[in-house]
Amino acid sequence: MTKFLAVCSTGLGSSFMVHMNIEKVLGELGIGGVDVDHADLGSVSRGDADAVFVGRDIAEAAQGLGDVVVLDSIIDLGELRGKVAEAARRHGLTD
Amino acid sequence: MLTTHLRDEDLLFAEDLAGWRDAIELVSHPLLARGDIERAYVDAMIESIAAGGTYIDLGYGIALAHARPEHGVVRTALSALWVRPAVLLGDEPEHPISLFFCLAAADSSSHLAALASLGELLSDDSARESLLAAHDTAGALAVLTAGETR
Repeated sequence: MTKFLAVCSTGLGSSFMVHMNIEKVLGELGIGGVDVDHADLGSVSRGDADAVFVGRDIAEAAQGLGDVVVLDSIIDLGELRGKVAEAARRHGLTD
Repeated sequence: MLTTHLRDEDLLFAEDLAGWRDAIELVSHPLLARGDIERAYVDAMIESIAAGGTYIDLGYGIALAHARPEHGVVRTALSALWVRPAVLLGDEPEHPISLFFCLAAADSSSHLAALASLGELLSDDSARESLLAAHDTAGALAVLTAGETR
């Protein structure tokens, strides 16, 4: 199963909000087969997820984690919808 | 779920603050006064922001201040502070904040329901705008309550 991971510095606040919103957007887009979770930056290694979603302030620190998707806003569903759709396409979930 | 945590005394309004440090002190106040957090938790949030922790900027001028449970959380709690005019988080011009939330999470799961409701509310364009426009406790509570029943 494809794994999308939302990551923030503490793994408690914004990463959870992004996690919820990714699930919401995947539902809206009708994309299944994605396991979504959230974690803190320190506990994530390259290969833990197919795509890692982060806020722009930790984009640099997250660079080595593979397919990193940088969000300008944690709560902008429009932005997230576009970026989740692109990630789903990159990982072969949609055409 | 949201108004379980965000009660009257947890919704604060301030004008002409000197900066983000004052905002963090103020938004922490109800939690500190009730014993939900220890003083160390406020210091941990301030240190984390000073060290470049502007990742708590959610966008749209809203910030979610928080630190790790082990830095002094006694009970899970949430508060909010409207700041007019906006203050610059970490003194950085690209992070003007007009609404601060303070999240104290006692563990990694007890706060999730409240945070999920908050995330849902803030991700809704019209609800977020109404919340940002609130000028008093009653106005803020009305938006939070409407958010719960959607």
